[in-house]
Amino acid sequence: MQVLKSALLAGARLAAAAVVGLAITSAAMAQSAADRAVEAAKKYSGQTITIVWEAGLQSLDPLNFSGPKWEKLTGVKIKVIEVPTAEMFTKILQEHRAGSGAYDALNVIPSWMPDLAAAGALEPLDSWIDKFGYRDELKDIAPVFRDNWMKVGSKIFGLPDDGDVFIMYYRKDIFADPALRAAFKGKFNREMDVPKTWPDFAEVGAFLTEKLGPKTYGAAFFRDAPYGQFMFQERFRNEGGKFFDADTMKATVNSDIGVKALAGMKAENKFMPPGVETWGFVENLAAFASGQTAMTISWPPYGRWTAGYGTDEKVMSWVPKTQIAGKVGYALPPGGHPELAAGFSLSVASGSKNKEAAYLFIQWLNSREISTERVQIPYTLRDPFRENHYSDPVYLSRWPDAKDYLATLKLASVSGLLDLSIIQTDKYEEALRQGISRLWAGDDPKAIADKIASQWDAITQKVGVEKQKAAYADWAGKSAAYPH
Amino acid sequence: MTLPDHAPVRHKRKRQAFPLVLVGPAVFMLLLVGLFPLIYSVIVSFQGLTMTDEDTSFQGIANYAQLFHDQRLWESIFHTVLITVIALPLELVFGLMMALLLLEPIRGRQVFVALLVLPTMISPIVAGATWRLLFDNHFGPLNQIIGWIAGHPTPLLWTVVPDLVYPSILICEIWQWTPFMFLLLLAALSGVDRSAGEAAEIDGASYWQRLWHIELPSIAPVMTVAILIRALDLARVFDVVWALTKGGPGTMTETVSIYAYVQGFQQFETSYTAAISFLIIALLSVLVAAAVRKVEFVR
Repeated sequence: MQVLKSALLAGARLAAAAVVGLAITSAAMAQSAADRAVEAAKKYSGQTITIVWEAGLQSLDPLNFSGPKWEKLTGVKIKVIEVPTAEMFTKILQEHRAGSGAYDALNVIPSWMPDLAAAGALEPLDSWIDKFGYRDELKDIAPVFRDNWMKVGSKIFGLPDDGDVFIMYYRKDIFADPALRAAFKGKFNREMDVPKTWPDFAEVGAFLTEKLGPKTYGAAFFRDAPYGQFMFQERFRNEGGKFFDADTMKATVNSDIGVKALAGMKAENKFMPPGVETWGFVENLAAFASGQTAMTISWPPYGRWTAGYGTDEKVMSWVPKTQIAGKVGYALPPGGHPELAAGFSLSVASGSKNKEAAYLFIQWLNSREISTERVQIPYTLRDPFRENHYSDPVYLSRWPDAKDYLATLKLASVSGLLDLSIIQTDKYEEALRQGISRLWAGDDPKAIADKIASQWDAITQKVGVEKQKAAYADWAGKSAAYPH
Repeated sequence: MTLPDHAPVRHKRKRQAFPLVLVGPAVFMLLLVGLFPLIYSVIVSFQGLTMTDEDTSFQGIANYAQLFHDQRLWESIFHTVLITVIALPLELVFGLMMALLLLEPIRGRQVFVALLVLPTMISPIVAGATWRLLFDNHFGPLNQIIGWIAGHPTPLLWTVVPDLVYPSILICEIWQWTPFMFLLLLAALSGVDRSAGEAAEIDGASYWQRLWHIELPSIAPVMTVAILIRALDLARVFDVVWALTKGGPGTMTETVSIYAYVQGFQQFETSYTAAISFLIIALLSVLVAAAVRKVEFVR
């Protein structure tokens, strides 16, 4: 009898413990990922996390907003190392090779990930994602970023954190102008709609320059080679091009499609403002914001700034003041598959001495709750990348056309195209950059495409055909490598 | 029997060792910061080291053999030589003209000299960036001035169009470094004994004859050193070209320093870059040796 009583008591205790345990776990899981990161990070209070961030406006996020907030919540200090984008890869790799442990968390352009992961510079994040219950919130990240910017092979090395994508901005008032529409219809026997193909774009652009130039040109893009190579990557694939023959790894960038894309880019300069060949991000923005051009393609900040959102802040004083607020429409670029140009994912440096604390900070930054605040800070250049960002009521009300802007970004987050990302990607991009600068200098598109292909083949040979073939297969197998 | 007194010998040894003790740390530091990297670079140049690949196995002379087949490298050397052979004589001639002009005491001479040497005080990368703005097709004053003269807008793409990229680099380079030539030559000319020139003038020698036969030979050693310094500077020209064209269009204005930078710090071909560096050292050593012989010949 005594034995039975003891057994019953022990069973009751076990059941009670199970109920209490379940309740505690449920309570913990009921917390948001941001809260979980904060709770877990409190044990690191007093320590400092060093994070590499793009120099300039981008870094004002951890300097002015997220860094101080994290310190207040957890007691963990954030030290920001500002590095120009062009030097970030080098610095990260140099510190890794030196074994200095100088960096804890990193901003990484996703196309660098295969090289950085292969070099052992990045720490896999999977175990922490499970430990701190972040996997569910990762599912909220928009498909192109989630499916393409996190992993190398089967391991997660980065949390997609910046929805960089090229979209088209156009002047709604010009496209709605009855006289222009009638004249266009008279000339081309069709409506003057926002171009959906590159031949359409060439016709509309040239027509608008003819009618409105030189006060307003049909279009302009940033043509400076580092930007121009992104635009080529986008256009080439929208037209059906493939970078390599997947069986032989021979470069096919000099196919008829490649030559056509280069020739098209060159021909379009004729209806763009004089000197467009040298334009970078700011020149192109200045022209569009001042009403000098009717169409352009760029990253998402153009949409916010030309609407006048946040540009009154002191740190934004360099941004050209918009003359076209309320007149800007948003669309996918011709072809319908925009380039996910550059972008950023958050990673943990393998040489960090505070890896878990570093991870907790990036989980918190990247979480649904905190990222929704961050993508609305006007000066940080972080662009929407989560499903809830596109439908956030506060964001939707930021300016009258914000709903159209976010709707277009949402479309782009489904159909966007990845930057080429294989072993030693920068060498391939360097060949593209050289080709683009020769295009503006007047060289023959076919000769340029052949030269790029021969340079690519030489790089592939040096890397090793089989090794690169495997890396290309991994990249090309991603959903956003080529249009589907 | 008395033991020999070693005190004077010890004292002598101490006296001999004392300078070595003083100089030793400096020599050690020099060897550490100068010789060690050099030796290490030699070792690296025989390896297959890249930033992304930790393989440090020796590759024999593969990197050096590759130098001879690297068309882009030889093109970059040609571009460097091209800039040098055009910029150097022009800097010398303009510098000499300015020095001769300001040799005679004129009102405000010191102010002119101070103003003329200002460009050399600017960092070359800043000079390049400034000229890039001046050359800007849209906002740059240069095109505006040309437009006023031509009577219509002239959006010349100085840093894009092949016919204009070298002139733009040379304008910037000559603008910045002619004052350096001027300053050295002015100092040298100021030290020339005037009596020989005055005697020649009394004997009926023209200005050009005095310049050619008396003054230039007198300043030839200084002139040779000035040429050597500038030639070495031009052989490693980087900043101005980087700021203006980044070596473009394509690789049309890529100098050997830019190529080495791209290989080393953008493409992370560490071992190959070390081999390029030693090629440059070898080429420059030949140039310096020839110049030193010239100086001795002149002396």
